[in-house]
Amino acid sequence: MKRLLRSPTAVTGGVLLLLVVVASVAAPLLAPADPVKPSFGRRLQPPRLLGGASAYALGTDNLGRDILARLLYGGRVSLVLAASAVALAATAGVVVGLAAGILGGRLDDFVMRLADVQLAFPVIMLAIAIVAVVGSSPAALVSVLALSGWVLYARTVRANVLTIRRLEYVEAARTLGASELRVILRHILPNTLAPILVIGSSQFATMVLLESGLSFLGLGIQPPQPSWGAMLAEGRDYLSNAWWLATVPGMAISLVVLGANLLGDGLRDVLDPRL
Amino acid sequence: MGTLPLSRRRFLAGSGAALAAAARPGAAAAQGRRGEIIAGLSERMLTLDPANHYSISSTSVLRHVYDPLVDVTNDDRFVPALAETWRPLNNTTWRFTLRRGVSFHDGTPFTADSVVFTLKRVRDNTKLIKSFVYQDIEDVQKDGDHAVTVTTKRPFGSLPAHLTMLGMLPPSAGANDEAFFQKPIGTGPFRFGSWTHGDHIDLVASPKYWKPGIPRVEKLTFRFIPELSTRVSALRAGEIHVIDRVWPDMVQTLKGTAGVKVLDTPALEAQRWHFQLARDPVKDLRVRKAISLAIDRNVIIKDLLLGYARPVVCPVPPGLLGHTNLGQKPYDPEKARQLLKQAGASNLSLDFVLMKDLYPKQLEIAQAVAAMLGEVGVKVNIRNLEIATAREQRTAGNYDLFFSGWAQMPHDPDWYFGQWFTKTGAEKLTRFSDPRVEQLIADGRVPDPKVRQQKYEEIDRLLWEEEPEIWPYYTVAIYAISDKLRNFEARRDYYVLLHEVGIA
Amino acid sequence: MPGDPAKMLLPEGAPQSAVDELNRHLGLREPLWIQYGLFLRSVARGDFGQSFQYRSPALRVVVERLPATIQLAATAMLLTVLFGVSIGVVAAVRQGTAYDYAGTVLAVLGQSLPNFWLGIMLILLFGVTLRWLPTSGFQGWTYLVLPSVTLAAFPTALVARLTRSSLLEILGQEYIRTGRAKGLAEPVVVLRHALKNATIPLLTVIGLQIGTLLGGAVITESIFAWPGMGKLVVDAIFFRDFPVVQTILILSATIFVVINLLVDVLYTILDPRIRYG
Repeated sequence: MKRLLRSPTAVTGGVLLLLVVVASVAAPLLAPADPVKPSFGRRLQPPRLLGGASAYALGTDNLGRDILARLLYGGRVSLVLAASAVALAATAGVVVGLAAGILGGRLDDFVMRLADVQLAFPVIMLAIAIVAVVGSSPAALVSVLALSGWVLYARTVRANVLTIRRLEYVEAARTLGASELRVILRHILPNTLAPILVIGSSQFATMVLLESGLSFLGLGIQPPQPSWGAMLAEGRDYLSNAWWLATVPGMAISLVVLGANLLGDGLRDVLDPRL
Repeated sequence: MGTLPLSRRRFLAGSGAALAAAARPGAAAAQGRRGEIIAGLSERMLTLDPANHYSISSTSVLRHVYDPLVDVTNDDRFVPALAETWRPLNNTTWRFTLRRGVSFHDGTPFTADSVVFTLKRVRDNTKLIKSFVYQDIEDVQKDGDHAVTVTTKRPFGSLPAHLTMLGMLPPSAGANDEAFFQKPIGTGPFRFGSWTHGDHIDLVASPKYWKPGIPRVEKLTFRFIPELSTRVSALRAGEIHVIDRVWPDMVQTLKGTAGVKVLDTPALEAQRWHFQLARDPVKDLRVRKAISLAIDRNVIIKDLLLGYARPVVCPVPPGLLGHTNLGQKPYDPEKARQLLKQAGASNLSLDFVLMKDLYPKQLEIAQAVAAMLGEVGVKVNIRNLEIATAREQRTAGNYDLFFSGWAQMPHDPDWYFGQWFTKTGAEKLTRFSDPRVEQLIADGRVPDPKVRQQKYEEIDRLLWEEEPEIWPYYTVAIYAISDKLRNFEARRDYYVLLHEVGIA
Repeated sequence: MPGDPAKMLLPEGAPQSAVDELNRHLGLREPLWIQYGLFLRSVARGDFGQSFQYRSPALRVVVERLPATIQLAATAMLLTVLFGVSIGVVAAVRQGTAYDYAGTVLAVLGQSLPNFWLGIMLILLFGVTLRWLPTSGFQGWTYLVLPSVTLAAFPTALVARLTRSSLLEILGQEYIRTGRAKGLAEPVVVLRHALKNATIPLLTVIGLQIGTLLGGAVITESIFAWPGMGKLVVDAIFFRDFPVVQTILILSATIFVVINLLVDVLYTILDPRIRYG
């Protein structure tokens, strides 16, 4: 932990993420206006912070709502959904990947072909099918998102395991009588951490976008409640005459991804046993 | 056909010279054809078979390859195409006399056999999408090579209107449907070139079209570009010459682009959000009236649609048979609250179902409506669903209010009334049922336009009182074109018709 | 899957009798398992059925999209490998310098900018304002530039980050230090030894991205009116055009299996220690 606090990358990343999370949690205190109530006379005002001439720090949207307020409230939804989806996908993917890589054989073949077939299914179709079976709920949404993301981890971890378990020091540990579980936990898992962190941080943005893409299945957040993904989607048709509608939530997502990337880099440096 | 206050609002693009040329048929022929026009349509064309779709973009494209018996002008007059005249012999018999000297692209002459074949095909082949409309046809008989008599099982006053959408096929098409529509022929101003499904279709001028001086270009390409911003960009970059279905918010940008013109015209379309009339609480007339009173239609028209919409004064839009001015619906939230109180409806919560991405700005408008109804204490749950799911939900009756619109195809309100306001038509949709309206619709099917107008005005009044739907606004159709186009007409029916259009 | 193909084909105000009649013609009144059995039987004979929406053979509708799909995916893949690996290598070798941070920022943008944002901005800049490149459509190589850049942004960023992190890991290992100690030139160390060992996780991710690029370019395809398979399948799903959906599923599942088998084979070539048994 001390080493983590001494890494400037990790600290910057951590502070960024913390800021975003705190801002979202404190949305009711920070938001300058109601995020849902339209005011028609004040549509599409450009953001003051980015050179606009309006009274709104981040401008107003197509219904005259304060974008800053929507961003803060939207963060609550998007952060929770995307983070839990990434966590679920990563956990499932890592477990499956480790199992396939270490046990090999039939299980490996089966899991990897299953992954291929699953990738061939468009996410939207999976989502429609899941909604048809279990109905629409936040939990269903998170499982659809996670289902769309686990393969990347599974295949990466498996590939890493295949390389690492043949490395000399791992072989040596095994010869010295370390149990298989110990080998996995001490040697293999830490070594696969780097790619997992990279994939996880980049997947966050994908999940936020996907969340908005799935809202029409009744899965996501229905308007007028804001989420970053929904804000992006609403801004899409205004990109040529009111660019800030989609750009502001895009920047918020970039900030989170940047924070996650930096924190991930720092974590990797700290956890890597050889550095 | 009622008053036509809007018929003067025809928007003709192009120079005075081009207009003069258009007024003198034959003048353009002397100049010869030249150039190529590329149009960008919002909706993908799905088939080359004129009897197998009810899509506006397919109707637009296929009108260039096939001619119908009857054409319709932008001020809703029915004019001769392949039929020179038509008249009802009695309530269930129509007689058409056909144009002479017309031939298909392969040189075979167009005769009464083509009409008999085309009409019997669409009636008998129930696989075809248009088949259900023509089930009322009893028989089609030719009377020599250039006249046809159509008898119907019940009065079919809207038959000429329906025929504006049905291109005539050569009888040889019957031998092998699939092979024919690989490379179809018609009598239209353009021949079929090639088609990549969902992407674009190429047409080339037919050298011997029966209307002199037409077409005015050598080649015509329709590209299918559903993404609005892409359509707009392609036009602004000069890659295409005309686009349809422009949103109000894009008008400013387009008007500021050199070489681009924006045209608009009131469309033959009323937005209509229908209630599930068998469901509590909206089956109570007072609740429906309250909801109607709580919606400020002017805010939607002025602030959200930037004036590109018109207030509704009748379920049937102006210009069409059956229109009459009943005055605008008032906005009165105070009265709405009173009515809700009278109805004993407190803590109302409504499901407002939308079909994803179907109507411009629908999500914005629905949110505005939710806020307006919130003011009178009605909570609105917006459910923006994928189209197939939304329609499934409607069939199952799981909605209170459904966001929809009705473009009056084919320039006749019989379909709208017959579908939505008869018991059998509406039983899986809105659950509307009213014997008075049902009788008036049946009486209004006769060919006599005076009788029809009178019956339809009565229906209008009944519906206006019952409020089975909210009619928030009439749509305005917005097109953008390159200033090189000559003689382009912004159509009220959303058709993009280019056979008389030239390019500089 | 809920939803009714006949209802999607017919206009909104078609009577229920017409819906029922059309479903009968489409063969959708049979029980589901019979429909599926019939479908499998005809697929075995090479017949994938008729597309409901286009009323043409489903296979033809799908195959028509293949050239555009493959061109776009291949170009985007090329850009991804080229730029992703180079940015990653530079960032790793120059760890902690301005190059490294610039690489990070670029990668973050690539990962977090939505496709449609990048696509529309590129169209407005290069298509509308500068008029250097066509805005949309599929006619020649100039039409490929903007969509492939848009499509490549995300995988490039991912590959750059992965290259950087994998390389950093390996550069710290003993045999590399040994190589350096033996006096090998730094480029040789990085390119010959380190990069080769970093390829395995990279290869996996790239293999997976190929699939995504082939069938998952939905937004890029609609922004650029690109006649590819991603948009086709999504439209087919919304339309309940089951024959087209099934055809694409069979096709893309095959492509996935083949690509990932190839990747597995490449593992063993690149790293002979990996064996399957």
